[in-house]
Amino acid sequence: MLWTGLSPDEAREYLEQKDKSKKDKRMTLTQAVKKFINHGDNIGVGGFVNSRQPVAIAHEIIRQGRKDLTLSFQSAGLVPDYLMGAMALRPDHLSIKRMEFAYVGHEYAGTSSMFRYMTENNRLFIEDWTNFNMSARFKAGAMGVPFMPIRSGMGGDIEKCNRSQVITCPFTGRDILLLPASHPDVGILHVQEADIYGNCRIKGQTFTCPEIAMASKNVIVTCEKLIDHDVVATHPTQTSIPFFAVDAVVEVPFGSYPGVCHDYHYYDKLHLEYFKGLTNEFREGHDTGLKTYFDTHIFGVRDTDDFIELIPYRQLKYAQQTESRNLELQTHLVPPQA
Amino acid sequence: MTDYATEYSPSEMIVTAGARQLEDNKVIFAGTGLPLVGITLAQLTSGPGIIPVFEAGAVGPTLNRNLPLSVGDSRTTSRASFIQGLNAAFEMTQRGFIDIGFIGGAEIDPHGNLNSTMIGDFPDSYMKPGVRLPGSGGAGDMSCSCTHTILIIQHEKRRFVNQLQYMTSIGHLDGSPDARKKVGLQGKGPKRVITTKALMGFDDKTRRMKILATMPGETVQSIQEATGFELLVDDNLYEFEPPTKKEIHLIREVIDPTQIFCKRQRPQRSA
Repeated sequence: MLWTGLSPDEAREYLEQKDKSKKDKRMTLTQAVKKFINHGDNIGVGGFVNSRQPVAIAHEIIRQGRKDLTLSFQSAGLVPDYLMGAMALRPDHLSIKRMEFAYVGHEYAGTSSMFRYMTENNRLFIEDWTNFNMSARFKAGAMGVPFMPIRSGMGGDIEKCNRSQVITCPFTGRDILLLPASHPDVGILHVQEADIYGNCRIKGQTFTCPEIAMASKNVIVTCEKLIDHDVVATHPTQTSIPFFAVDAVVEVPFGSYPGVCHDYHYYDKLHLEYFKGLTNEFREGHDTGLKTYFDTHIFGVRDTDDFIELIPYRQLKYAQQTESRNLELQTHLVPPQA
Repeated sequence: MTDYATEYSPSEMIVTAGARQLEDNKVIFAGTGLPLVGITLAQLTSGPGIIPVFEAGAVGPTLNRNLPLSVGDSRTTSRASFIQGLNAAFEMTQRGFIDIGFIGGAEIDPHGNLNSTMIGDFPDSYMKPGVRLPGSGGAGDMSCSCTHTILIIQHEKRRFVNQLQYMTSIGHLDGSPDARKKVGLQGKGPKRVITTKALMGFDDKTRRMKILATMPGETVQSIQEATGFELLVDDNLYEFEPPTKKEIHLIREVIDPTQIFCKRQRPQRSA
């Protein structure tokens, strides 16, 4: 059996000797990526499509450069697009060798041009799963079991593309699918709130962030805001991820921009569609726009603060104002123009 | 007498048809796009008790913060009864809590199996497809485990094919009795197919696609001509009622005023 990332035994052994103390885990994003992401790593990507994608962490990985990465996620748009964009422009600096996933795209904003470019030119080893398949694989990892029995992703062609196996259930006598657990080398997550120890409070849907955190060898968390540990300890049922699963905590407001971050800001459709447009042009053979974007917005800046400073205030304001307002209140807002 | 709209677009026809298929008080697994507009329309007309579930983890929200652009975005959680994550949403689907799921795809075959993965030879060109599509997402899961599914697809000959290039979402497989159960699946499979041209179901014996109703302006012949395989025709074939003025008003003024999903271009006149 091929285990990408850690095998269940390796994952268990690593945790047994790991320092699980409740210590201050704050560091810069530069330090966190340097310390926890290596060439050849399997990276578990948090969020869902363009919601709470760990964009800031992806940008830092791109700045530092890593080779032969594996990406594991259920559905994602921005993070794989940024990483595949970097690989298309500078393959000697950043490369992905493998993706284990259910969906790459942008829903309302269309398919991923970078994914089309990479797959249609045979640049990646791909392994298709369903959303539940990938979610249950992380859950198996989080539970410390080597596989998860499941009733979806079977009967068609998906099971022929991946490492799942159909067995006869020993209790019912019917066919059932077994999925291998996923233990990424590193989980990368963006959440709304965390304390200095790594306790995370996720607002809205959790997606599969808690499962990725519990399954991964190491975890980097960026948060919209650091909160006092007393707040966590007063309402511990609101903690989505316990501190000992987390290795680095970085306060990065707008860390999932231009995607949506529940309670903080909605999509910046203008920027998202602008970037998406550049990837479309790239696939059509015009690489200047995407090159310039990477030079100005990622390689040319030190960190997420610098990146966000390039975005017009009106766009950020509108993204914040359109979050959590009812439709009636939204109709009084004036959308910014490109 | 019903007051029909005189002008409506193909998207608005699909949304109306989708809404009219939904029974009140059922739990509906909601995708974004036209299905979502249809579910909301049903909630505002015949189905105030409809319970939407979103795969990213929200159960029973009221969509009063504008239409979500993604099944994972914050707008799907507005006034929800329960919010967790993907595992929770799919576990309840697998358990049997979801009555109906809406699924789409790039290709569909006579038994309602769908392709949303790739165009090209499978498995030979899997790693280098002619066109790579986004992939299953949650559609494959919904197709396996929702009690019933409703398929929404653009009616074009290249999409309605005898043989899929890749089977992503499971319909009635080869149509043989108990085909789904034999491979280990729980849900009953596709119940309806809604297109711009027809409302279709599946034959009880062969589980082949069957025209139940023609959309306004279409005939059995025009539908068959846009289909790459032979369609059955129901004995009680009827013409689908056009959208009413009330339905069009709700779509345009209340549900999707900014035309996020329901475009108004290419209006067609009702007969």
